[in-house]
Amino acid sequence: MRIAASVCFFLMLCSGAWAKTPVFELEIRDHLFHPDELRIPANTKVKLIVYNRDSTPEEFESYELNREKVIMGGRKANIFIGPLAPGVYPFFGEFNPNTAQGRVIVE
Amino acid sequence: MLLTSVILVLREVLEAAMLVSVLLALSRHWQQSINWLWWSLPVGLVGAIVFASLLDVVTDAFDGAGQELANALLQGLLYCLILTIVVLSPSNASHKRLMSFLMAAVLSCAMIREGSEILIYVVGFASAGEHAAAVYAGSVIGAGIGVSLGVLLYSALRALSDDRIQATSMVLISLMGVGTIMQATLLLEQVDWLPAGRALWDSSWIVSEQSIAGQLLYAVFGYEATPSVLQIVLYTVCLSVMFGAHYFSVMRWGNLNEA
Repeated sequence: MRIAASVCFFLMLCSGAWAKTPVFELEIRDHLFHPDELRIPANTKVKLIVYNRDSTPEEFESYELNREKVIMGGRKANIFIGPLAPGVYPFFGEFNPNTAQGRVIVE
Repeated sequence: MLLTSVILVLREVLEAAMLVSVLLALSRHWQQSINWLWWSLPVGLVGAIVFASLLDVVTDAFDGAGQELANALLQGLLYCLILTIVVLSPSNASHKRLMSFLMAAVLSCAMIREGSEILIYVVGFASAGEHAAAVYAGSVIGAGIGVSLGVLLYSALRALSDDRIQATSMVLISLMGVGTIMQATLLLEQVDWLPAGRALWDSSWIVSEQSIAGQLLYAVFGYEATPSVLQIVLYTVCLSVMFGAHYFSVMRWGNLNEA
C-alpha cells in the first residue's frame, strides 16, 4: 500500500494510434503530500488524482500550475494539468501551507 | 495557523468586499436605496452554507468535474449580472427595482463562492481541536482587513467628483466582471472541459501572484501571471462585449434623453 502511495503513476493503455491521458496519483496524509515530488512528461496533459486521507478538508493550490480545488476529508479530486514546459511547479495545501508542500517536475 | 487563517479569509473576503464597495458607491451616486445589501447578506450566507455542505456531492458530480462546473457557472452568472448592470446604468433611474435586485444577486453569488470556502476551512479546522482559537481569531482579523479595504475603496470612490464617480465605478465593475471569466476559464481547463494550452507569457517577474499586489489584482481583475491563449481570447471577447454594450447603451439613452 505504501509503495502504491509513494510513486504511484501508471500510463493508461495505448490502444491503436491514440494514447489516453496519463494518470498520476497523490495522497494527503497528516497534512503532507505523498509523494511530495511528482515527475511528469513535458508538453503532455496529465490527470492528477489527489486523495485526501485526512478527516479535515484541504485545498490543492498552485500559482504556477494555475490550479485550485477544495478536497473534503476522506474524498478525492481530479485535476488536469499541462501541457507544460519543462520546469519545477510548486503546489501546496492552502489550509496547511506550512506542511503540505510539493512540486511537479516537468521533464 | 493564525497567519494561514488571516491570509485565507482575507483572500476570499477581498473579492466580495471590492465588488460591494463599487456597487454601494454606484447606489449612492444614483440616489438609490441600499436595502439590497441587507437582504443579500443572509441570502449569500445561506447559499454559502448549502454549497459548502453539498460540496462532497457536487465535487463527484459530472465525473469529478462538478465543483469546477458549479464555480464556473457562478462566475459566468456574475459576469452576466454585471453586464446587465453596466448596460442599464445610463437608464438607472427607470430601473431602480431591477438594479437593486441585480446588485443583491451579484453580492449573493460572490458570497456563495467565497463564503463556502471560508466555512469549509473554519468548520473543518475549528472542530479539529487545538487550533480552534487561532482559526477563529485569524478569520476575524482577515475578514476585518478585507472589509476595511472595501470601506477604503468606497470612501475613495465617494470622494470623487460627480462626473468621475460614474466613469470610475463603471470601469472598475466592468473589469471585475470580466475577471470572473478569467477564473471560469481556468476552472474549466482544470477539469478538461476546455483545452489547456501552454502559458502565453509569464509576468510573474513583474507582479507575482503570491505578492500583495498580485493578490489584489487577482481579487479585483482576475490577474493571472501565466495565462493561456484561450484565457486571453475569452477575456478580450468578454471585455469587448462589456464595453461595447455600455457604449451602445449610453448612445441610445443619451439620444433618448436629448429627444
